[in-house]
Amino acid sequence: MSAGAKSRVVVVAEHSQGRLSPVNWELMACAGQMARVLGLEVAAAVLGQGVEPLAGEIAQRTGVKVWAVEVEGMAAFHGEAQRLALAQLLPAWRAQAVVGAHSTSGLDWAPGLAARLEAAYLPGVEGLSAGPEGPRFSRTAHYGKVREELAPTAWPLVLTVQPGTFPAAPPGEAGHGEVEVVRLPAPPCRSQLLEVVDGAGTDAGLGRAKVVVAAGRGVGQAENLELLRRLAGLFSSAALAGSRPVCDLGWLGYGHQVGLTGATVSPSLYIACGISGARQHTVGMQGSGFIVAISNDPQAAIFNLADVCIVEDLTVLIPALLEQASGYSDPASLQGDLPGRPG
Amino acid sequence: MRILVCIKQVWEPESLFDLQGTELRPRPPLRRKVGSYDELALEEALRLKDRLPRTNLTVLSVGPPPVVDVLRRALGMGADRAVHILAPDQPPPRPATLAAWIAAWAQGQNFDLILTGVMSEDAMQGAVGPMLAAHLGWPPVTSVVSLKVDGHALAVEREMEGGRRQRLALPLPALLTVQSGPNQPRYPTLSNLLRAKKTTPLTVDAAGLAAPPDREKVVALTPPEKRRAGLVLEGSAAQKAERLLAMLRERALL
Ligand SMILES: Cc1cc2nc3c(=O)[nH]c(=O)nc-3n(C[C@H](O)[C@H](O)[C@H](O)COP(=O)(O)OP(=O)(O)OC[C@H]3O[C@@H](n4cnc5c(N)ncnc54)[C@H](O)[C@@H]3O)c2cc1C
Repeated sequence: MSAGAKSRVVVVAEHSQGRLSPVNWELMACAGQMARVLGLEVAAAVLGQGVEPLAGEIAQRTGVKVWAVEVEGMAAFHGEAQRLALAQLLPAWRAQAVVGAHSTSGLDWAPGLAARLEAAYLPGVEGLSAGPEGPRFSRTAHYGKVREELAPTAWPLVLTVQPGTFPAAPPGEAGHGEVEVVRLPAPPCRSQLLEVVDGAGTDAGLGRAKVVVAAGRGVGQAENLELLRRLAGLFSSAALAGSRPVCDLGWLGYGHQVGLTGATVSPSLYIACGISGARQHTVGMQGSGFIVAISNDPQAAIFNLADVCIVEDLTVLIPALLEQASGYSDPASLQGDLPGRPG
Repeated sequence: MRILVCIKQVWEPESLFDLQGTELRPRPPLRRKVGSYDELALEEALRLKDRLPRTNLTVLSVGPPPVVDVLRRALGMGADRAVHILAPDQPPPRPATLAAWIAAWAQGQNFDLILTGVMSEDAMQGAVGPMLAAHLGWPPVTSVVSLKVDGHALAVEREMEGGRRQRLALPLPALLTVQSGPNQPRYPTLSNLLRAKKTTPLTVDAAGLAAPPDREKVVALTPPEKRRAGLVLEGSAAQKAERLLAMLRERALL
């Protein structure tokens, strides 16, 4: 490392369809903290084609130096191309740390890059602090039930930031940062990106509902969803949502999925039924006004995020709720159609 | 075609435990299983084997002796051969170490395709697969939800945020990490289980495999922060229900 010039923490920005992802401002916040703890300078890079305006947007908002890397042939995100391009460019950028998101894209390039650079790899970072022997990065481990602190023992660092954990960095007053355009010939990729297709994306009314009743794998069987439909029926504006496994199992359509690869919702009330609270789920619902969690596992991670925690079998608790809410005592009288049933 | 599937043995997610220093101490009885994404990776490999008759499927797991149980289950599901890389699980090996061990063994085995889960179900680091690919010099494609093999060509779809999908083409050999989807893992069959009982996995001692020194160290394990009030309702189910309804009414949510 050349003397004098500061080493850098480089944020690799996510973008798709000509837009920057909101997660970039969270990555910037993490990089800002790293810069303070480690005495590094923050910079960013955007890779792809026609990315100069995106680099300009970051430079303007944050005041940091941004590389607009025009990669031949990289019309959309392509993990292999991104990894090869970064491996080539990072040494010249004096990068002591590289920051991506713990997202489907970040996970496609970051671990392989760490292996290639023989870097420390810190996945799913949620916080950092200065320890006696250097920085410590925290993440959740073991089903989200434990907070783990990792200390790197080698440099550089490659880290992925857990989306939804760092508050987005507010626009800085530092003025416009420098944008430097770098042109790279097509990296020698073995995989070829053919096309990107949109997801089912059918909206199950999740965005509009004031109350979301969400089913997890703990619902146990499709028939038990009826209990959740009835629970949703107690509210005037409610929708039924599910965790990814519930949609994979076909109990609910993918349009009902909440989380990283599904919808993001922030209703006034979110009732999580039989959901363990994996980060990939909670990133899609943590902004809800009031969160009630029902799980039979007292150590479930969802309870760390809930306003009210109910450790109970949902097939016992929900009927109790229905009974008391409606004054019915005969479960047979609860049959029939109710609102909240998808069409 | 020669396929390798790497599977991790995890604790049943609901297993209770205590924290002791930088170790998790399970409260008995501890039940273990195959990580769910790894089981789906195995299912994808078995589906390929169903379609492509001359496929040989090896399943590999790293860990202490109990991992033989998940290897037997995989044989019961239809894998042809099991490899156990024997290694202690305390402290848990770092992803780079696991990748180096597996690469050291897999190199020279002429695999055409390696599958792993998109992440381990418990640690969720998503690192071993792509790091293993880096060791082998193969392109990894992560979060794969659909794959087709045509001769030496692979056509895959990987899932991204919001359910968007990328379609990619790549040559074999390749490494893919499998994301969950509508396919559910099959159950072991009795005849396969009987065969598995009589099969001893090939055991390879990790001590004899090269791995780089650790580049990161777990220095503390603590209970996760509570990000909200986390009021725990006590009493019978009926009392909890009553209390919850009262709270929702107080907040004009009901
Ligand atoms: C790249 C990637 C993207 C992902 N995207 C998403 C996403 O968008 N959305 C999403 O949800 N997940 C997503 N996941 C999956 C996520 O990591 C978790 O696997 C998933 O959220 C777990 O769903 P769950 O909580 O329903 O099931 P589990 O983790 O199996 O939890 C079930 C819970 O129900 C409890 N339970 C069981 N029986 C009962 C009962 N009778 N009564 C009460 N409680 C009971 C259990 O104790 C447990 O707490 C993604 C994963 C990856 C790798």
